[in-house]
Amino acid sequence: MSFSVSLRDVTLKYGDTEALSDVGLTLEAGKIYGLLGRNGAGKTSLLSLLAAFRKPSNGEVLVDGRPVWENIDVVSRVALVREGGDFDDSETVLATLETGSLRPDWDGDYALKLAERFELPLRKKVRDLSRGKRSVLGAVCGLAARAELAMFDEVHLGMDAPTRDAFYKELLAEYIDRPHTVILSTHLINEVANYLEEVVIVDKGRILRHEDVEAFQNMGATLTGPADVVDTAAAGLNVLAEQRLGGTKSVTVASALDPQTRERVVEAGVEIGPVGLQDLFIHLTNPDRTGA
Amino acid sequence: MFDDGAPIYRQIADQIKAEILNGSLEPGGKIMSTNQYAAFYQINPATAQKAFRELVDEGVLYKQRGVGMFVADDAREKLAGDFRARFFDDVLKPLVREARQAGIGLSDIIDYLQAQEGAPK
Amino acid sequence: MADTTLANRRHTLGFALGGGALKYFSGWIAAVVVLASALPPIIAQYRSIDISAWYIAANSGKIFTAIVSGIFLYTLLAGMIAQGVTRRELAVSLGWFGLLWSAALGALAIAMFLGEHALYSAFDWSQTLQGDGGETRLDSVGAALEFSARYPLVYLLYFTGGAIIGAAAYRSDWGWLVLVPVVPVVLALDGALMRTEVWGPGWASAVTGAANGLGTWQAVAVVLVAVAAGAWIVRGILLGTQIRAKQA
Repeated sequence: MSFSVSLRDVTLKYGDTEALSDVGLTLEAGKIYGLLGRNGAGKTSLLSLLAAFRKPSNGEVLVDGRPVWENIDVVSRVALVREGGDFDDSETVLATLETGSLRPDWDGDYALKLAERFELPLRKKVRDLSRGKRSVLGAVCGLAARAELAMFDEVHLGMDAPTRDAFYKELLAEYIDRPHTVILSTHLINEVANYLEEVVIVDKGRILRHEDVEAFQNMGATLTGPADVVDTAAAGLNVLAEQRLGGTKSVTVASALDPQTRERVVEAGVEIGPVGLQDLFIHLTNPDRTGA
Repeated sequence: MFDDGAPIYRQIADQIKAEILNGSLEPGGKIMSTNQYAAFYQINPATAQKAFRELVDEGVLYKQRGVGMFVADDAREKLAGDFRARFFDDVLKPLVREARQAGIGLSDIIDYLQAQEGAPK
Repeated sequence: MADTTLANRRHTLGFALGGGALKYFSGWIAAVVVLASALPPIIAQYRSIDISAWYIAANSGKIFTAIVSGIFLYTLLAGMIAQGVTRRELAVSLGWFGLLWSAALGALAIAMFLGEHALYSAFDWSQTLQGDGGETRLDSVGAALEFSARYPLVYLLYFTGGAIIGAAAYRSDWGWLVLVPVVPVVLALDGALMRTEVWGPGWASAVTGAANGLGTWQAVAVVLVAVAAGAWIVRGILLGTQIRAKQA
């Protein structure tokens, strides 16, 4: 019974500033979503609404079709792990894990198994943990909650590459084992891209894009080859970036190439490659961007 | 694990096709589940499913509800046929283009191929 | 919290919080008990004992209680919400926490007053409550019991006051300013209930003695009403509380 998510005309204000403006968003249950956005774009605000950390200034926030605010059946099965976690720093790691049993679906054995796997020092006080271990504790709490909607907000901070990799693996294994809705908010886009089914890009308090991950892959291309041919091919296209090395030029365009163009440029000795999600994200959220 | 060229689901589909062509997947044989693929390649299960769906649509795989995915009996012939059809466009065309760029004449290529054909294996 | 079901976890959580806090501070509490018990016999070597040591200890417990409830609420709020607890549940569990804490510390206060009374009687010392404005001597077991029996309630009063301040301080940046109305009200009710001078300079008695005209049972009733109203206020503050953004 993984949870769906739906926001209707949601506005969230902090004082006079609007963190989210008239957001409408529907996420189907049981998928892994990537939530991307620049710093201050509104990612954390969005997640805070879904976990009832915050109440919208306007609009409706539904999780599993039900208003989430003060809804015990919903919030007890929703987990939001914020960067650095929300812990009582004076507690030990073990005691922190034990407070998880407030949740109806908390899996204490799984938590201990994960703690061992990620080498969490159970007897240590939370305040004495390194940044990376603190993040790991947050991740473990989020996984062992066995939530129907699990959200990880920049949970990777301070984790080294092997730990991040192990976390993604565990997250995927848990997802395969028990379908539920997952939202990953991160700046390490390339690291998580393969795990995602859909991507939501937030920009300046609004939903900029919400598509299948494959749809993003079709949004652009890189053309590499003889400079003059590449220039001709890219003429009139939305060029994101270009690089030149001697007579060879590489441009990244933010438009799909129609089959004829594709064939023509390949004919002329140009190699076509895809644009990574990260490059597209950089392009889509560029404040100087014009058009599309 | 994946190159940056094509969407991952297509790469998976291509790989399964290659395994059928080279015989490591037998006709009628059962293939790993979406979840096994997802866990093995560390990708979203929906991506693996997309590859399977494409292969089912192409008639390379068939689905037996509740049991799993199987290689179609005629999959190898079909793929070989497809491959023959695409051989000139997909393989020879770029080859000729690259040869031309390198200044290799068509006759040189023909000579080489004939020598290969005649050479003892 | 073995059999925490969703329907009753607010109760189990409350007792867990109360029990946890008592355990967490048990060392401090034990130290105060030891100190208050050990000091009079030591001081008696040099001079006669004419004040109740435990009175000082029990009174410091009031402020301590307010701090515990305020700080606990302030620091635990985000963590509890992050564990999927609702604000309503948190309010109820805080109520149990307050009752358990006040009952435990209050029972300790009563026991210590009675114990001290027995000790002082044996040595013919005077168990006197010394404040700035006057002295009250507890000259019988009944008097010691009658006086100390008010502690559970007065601790609950301070717990409530601390919780209001903690909740308001979390809810908004200027929330701590509620201590302007809360502190004098608590002190006035404390004065009325305990019928002794609280502490602080003489001019403060304008506040702390404001309600001293009430009879004992009237004071008890007013404090009970104040605690109930305070609990309602804490609940109201919590229900609208947004979890703060993390400092970057």
